[in-house]
Amino acid sequence: MKQKIAVQVDDLTVAYNYKPVLWDIDLEIPEGVLMAIVGPNGAGKSTLIKSILGILKPIAGSVTIYGKPYKKQRSLVAYVPQKGSVDWDFPTTALDVVMMGTYGSLGWIKRPRQKEKKASLEALEKVGMLAFKSRQISQLSGGQQQRIFLARALVQDASIYFMDEPFQGVDATTEIAIINILKELRKAGKTVVVVHHDLQTVPEYFDWVTFLNVKKIATGPVKDIFNDNNLTKTYGINYKVSVQE
Amino acid sequence: MSNAQLEIQLIASLVAIACAIPGTFLVLRKMAMISDAISHSILPGIVVGFFITQDLNSPLLILLAALTGVITVVLVEYIQKTGLVKEDTAIGLVFPVLFSIGVIMIAKNANDVHLDIDAVLLGELAFAPFDRLLISGIDVGPKSLWVIGVILLITIVLLLAFFKELKLSTFDKGLAASLGFSPVILHYGLMTVSSITTVGSFDAVGAILVVALMIAPAATAYLLTTDLKKMLVLSIIFGVVSAISGYWFAHWLDASISGSITTMLGLLFLIVYLFAPSKGVIAVLYREKQQRIEVSLLTFLLHLKNHDEDNERHVNHLNEHINWQKVRSKTVLDLALRNNMIVIDNKIVSLTPKGDMFTTQAIDYIITNEDTQIEDMKNDFFLFRG
Repeated sequence: MKQKIAVQVDDLTVAYNYKPVLWDIDLEIPEGVLMAIVGPNGAGKSTLIKSILGILKPIAGSVTIYGKPYKKQRSLVAYVPQKGSVDWDFPTTALDVVMMGTYGSLGWIKRPRQKEKKASLEALEKVGMLAFKSRQISQLSGGQQQRIFLARALVQDASIYFMDEPFQGVDATTEIAIINILKELRKAGKTVVVVHHDLQTVPEYFDWVTFLNVKKIATGPVKDIFNDNNLTKTYGINYKVSVQE
Repeated sequence: MSNAQLEIQLIASLVAIACAIPGTFLVLRKMAMISDAISHSILPGIVVGFFITQDLNSPLLILLAALTGVITVVLVEYIQKTGLVKEDTAIGLVFPVLFSIGVIMIAKNANDVHLDIDAVLLGELAFAPFDRLLISGIDVGPKSLWVIGVILLITIVLLLAFFKELKLSTFDKGLAASLGFSPVILHYGLMTVSSITTVGSFDAVGAILVVALMIAPAATAYLLTTDLKKMLVLSIIFGVVSAISGYWFAHWLDASISGSITTMLGLLFLIVYLFAPSKGVIAVLYREKQQRIEVSLLTFLLHLKNHDEDNERHVNHLNEHINWQKVRSKTVLDLALRNNMIVIDNKIVSLTPKGDMFTTQAIDYIITNEDTQIEDMKNDFFLFRG
């Protein structure tokens, strides 16, 4: 049986000031995979996610989510930006940040009510942060902030999750907690796409991988394509990782 | 209090509220300098508007001038996007040019225009009650009161309608975009409101005070709260308090009202900056001092934990061993005793089970940086509050 395609990227080219950061990317992300996007710094990993989500405008190419443009499928997609992309001194609480995940389904002008609050509290509980709901966000550790971001994505109750380096600057406990939640999402049939830096953990955490360095190098099941050949092609140097069998 | 006095205070207060609302978002978006740029560069808009309408309070003039404000923002962003100069430089390039064009236009037409540079920079609130709005011959109050009242009403309606969207796009532009709340639309919406407010307040309070009223109350409130709604309310309160106290200060000194209001804003900020409970200078100094003591306490407890020999734990020897002054040793010893972390028996210091547990957890936290087990201790010790 052929797997459904959750995200389809065709001939995507993105440039900053006329300098291409992503060049002619064709990518199919099958439904229900837990996929890592790996590549060196400046490879365009975050740019790829942002272009799929319509945050950046590509100069060429198209993206579809379950066969339709992103604009029509917003409710199916949740996004966790890099933790460093926001100001954690912003005057707000953990619960309030999680509630922001409900804004998409509310639309313009409508305010969150009890239903949204309840869903947000449940999401906080899932990531083990319920006790911190009233804590000002600058008073949280890096790992806790990342969990808050994850809870905010969970509350969107999407089909596809995009996460930009969720393991950056978090402690080991949080990393395990996060990956367990991501694996649960996959079990529930969701598609999860993660920009990832730690090559050592790719085989353990993910079942699908995309190698990216301005161009797409390879994409497919980890067990088939996560090898020294592709790593060397992506990172340019002779790259060796010991893959546990 | 005369009618005119009451009207002046009312106008100043409404201006303060109308400025505090967009000001709060400008401060949080780190765009305080943009308000400075807008307040200056609307001058050519005002002059052109005045040529056309011959009325400083005409809605057309306000819209024309606000448009100049938005153009300023567009120009700044355009120059910045080239990557050749940074944002602050771009601001510094754009607004003086636009402002000067306005100055030249006023100078060239000085004879027929009732505008002068002093009034533009500092405003003249004292004259505001003289310019009355007459509706079919009936005096309904000063024109500038109506102008700022209408602007304030629009601002409040927009704030209530789009509070959620403004909060989201201020905190996390990326998420706002991906959820379909265009950050560009919200950004220019805020810029338009800021421009219109600036123009509406400009006539009464001048270019410099408009900036002060937008930025100072919000910056003061920011030091006091961790809740956006409270920050908005506090900004409004600080603005109004400064407006009214500034008026009476000017009355007493027989000096410029706008200058006095700005002075009050500065004073308020200074007081909060010094005395704010958690972010104020004094609180920070106190916290640092406490942290130093707590580090000493931990060092002391660790020493006790690592040494069983009596001579290492004798009260008199502790000074020598950990090399502290008498005063510091006593502070630390008292702190440990107060918290039941040690017992002193015959001048020999020993850890209690509580002290032992505390040391283990604290050291563990410092090494692993995992804070689940020190959650309860956060309230008692500054050391663990990051």
